[in-house]
Amino acid sequence: MLPVAQSRGSALRGVLLLSPVQLLANALIAGSLAALIAGGLALVYGVLGVFNMALGQLTLIGGYTAWWLHQVAHMSVLFSVIGGLLCGALMTWITFEVFVRPFYKHHRFLPLVTTIAWSMILDGFILLAFEERPRSILSEAKSMISLGSVLISREQCLMIVLTIVALLLFAWIFHCTSFGRKLRAVVQHESAARSLGINSAILHRVIFIVSGMFAAAGGIFIGIDQNLSPTLAFSLTIKAYAAIIAGGKGNIWGAIVCAYVIALLEQLLVGIHWFGAFYVPAGYQQTVALLFIIVILLLKPSGLFRSFARTA
Amino acid sequence: MRTFFALSSLLALSLTACGGAGDEGPIKLGYIGPLTGDAASYGIDTLNGTKMKVDEINAAGGINGRQIQLIAEDGKCAGADAATAVQKLVNIDKVIAIVGGQCSGETLAAAPVAEAAKVILLSPLSSSPDVTNAGAYVYRDYPSDALKTKAMAAYFQEKGLTKVAVITENTDFAQGFRASLKKDFGDFAFDEVVEPGTKDFRSLMTRLKNVDFDVFLANGQSPATIAPMVVQLREQGMKQLAITHDAGQSADTLSIGGKSVEGLEAINVPALGKDTAFGSKFIAQYGEPQGAAAFGAHAYDAVGVLAEAIGAVGANGEAIKGYLDQLEEYPGVVGTFHFDENGDVVGMSYALIVVQNGAWVQTRPIAIPE
Repeated sequence: MLPVAQSRGSALRGVLLLSPVQLLANALIAGSLAALIAGGLALVYGVLGVFNMALGQLTLIGGYTAWWLHQVAHMSVLFSVIGGLLCGALMTWITFEVFVRPFYKHHRFLPLVTTIAWSMILDGFILLAFEERPRSILSEAKSMISLGSVLISREQCLMIVLTIVALLLFAWIFHCTSFGRKLRAVVQHESAARSLGINSAILHRVIFIVSGMFAAAGGIFIGIDQNLSPTLAFSLTIKAYAAIIAGGKGNIWGAIVCAYVIALLEQLLVGIHWFGAFYVPAGYQQTVALLFIIVILLLKPSGLFRSFARTA
Repeated sequence: MRTFFALSSLLALSLTACGGAGDEGPIKLGYIGPLTGDAASYGIDTLNGTKMKVDEINAAGGINGRQIQLIAEDGKCAGADAATAVQKLVNIDKVIAIVGGQCSGETLAAAPVAEAAKVILLSPLSSSPDVTNAGAYVYRDYPSDALKTKAMAAYFQEKGLTKVAVITENTDFAQGFRASLKKDFGDFAFDEVVEPGTKDFRSLMTRLKNVDFDVFLANGQSPATIAPMVVQLREQGMKQLAITHDAGQSADTLSIGGKSVEGLEAINVPALGKDTAFGSKFIAQYGEPQGAAAFGAHAYDAVGVLAEAIGAVGANGEAIKGYLDQLEEYPGVVGTFHFDENGDVVGMSYALIVVQNGAWVQTRPIAIPE
């Protein structure tokens, strides 16, 4: 029923040693993508307490814009990537001004409804503007390099490194700088923070736009590494929420770590020859993220990482 | 409401009065296909193929002096819409025969109505194995998917490929293809099913690397999954032959896969591109096809064989059925064919189409084993 890896002579030892390292590399690729989207989302959810359900669509818009600039307008890759990020930021700003800002002060669940409506509008817009067809930002074959027993492309290495640097930098700003302290002050007690001269309205806007730029970066990542298609948005949103819920509310480090952990679990579940006896069918891979949240919340209801912010 | 009902039945009655079933006036031919929605590219190409043949016949004086009147209805690639469309064509327009449906779901939904009214339903594009037993009045000139897996299994045997690795997307079409190939070929060396829309196959490729296989079948629903499967296979340094079917044989696979899909093979109906007489005429008349000129060609031949039957035995459903059942061969643009006792096409061949220098090139025909 389940295919069993066929050991060719001494290859059996190779199977046991070789696969996990490659699986780790696979997890870094998938995890970096998920962490980009989850990191920005953790910030918005942690600071504003708002669910942005249009995040997956904003991700796609970033990716599709970069695709359009590179493949249709024939701009250079660097310019296309910057263009994609800016367009993602612009759309997120519009999202904030029209669909979030007028509502979130009344009730924090109102934007849940308005952003779902906006996500549907964006779905239609993406179909109209970029068609039902799958799109890939780079169509050249990727040059593979082998690091020991691991095969990985230059583009993937670059994206993993850039993602980790960007996320660490951002988490560091949030948790270890005075600007970050202002942000966290707004999270803890907004009116107290305002009375101390912190302009919370601008901070909210900045946070929202930054999360959109991270999402757009995720879309560009997909467009370079795999391909973009209009139906991708919802599953991206779900995975990002899995990471931030498991990571603990408002904890950016937690969301980032959980994004990588979920990706690793997905790879291990399907990639490992369990107990030397069977493989788990690939169809179960998608359930890992959701099972992970359930298990984490059962064990630690406040999330895997305790929030560093003291409750006021 | 009652007035409305009375009026509409009056309207139906008056329309019935000028039906095309008699020996006078134009011969009415129906068409059902997805003219709007996601599958519209099938509908547009087949409708153009249908129109092309109808216009040619009418320009040459019609069938025994009677012109053909084409009535097209939108089936939207959905059973419910096709059922409404066939009711209208059969009961109100009183068509003699219908070219359609295109999506298998349309054909299966329209079949009972056509069957009851003894109207020929000839599908140019439905490939589901279920259409074989859909009814005595249901024909198709497009080969069943059941034949494609037979052809693929025979191709594997011919090339001595015994260990097949398959990744299947969990959709009706791809799962049907997997089950059918398993029946025709035997067990696979590697057999995994992924959720629809999956684009990251890296954990499976890592496992596949340790499996001894000769050929990789990318069994997805669309290029959005098939292309990354092949790309990620090549990324992990596996050089084995990769093959796919009609879902993967698309320009999108080339634009996503780039150099990684070089050498990818596909088994599909022959392409009938610009370099063929039909293809160049079709493109000249209707522009670049939305899906493939071959879709138009199957519709073109469907009209052709129906017109031949009507010309020989007259505009009568039962007589046309008798003619199609007895038909020895019809020389169409897609090949010389006839129908078996189930109304399935016989005599069609597939082609092996290979990516060479970044383009799909038809290399040789692939026979369907009897």
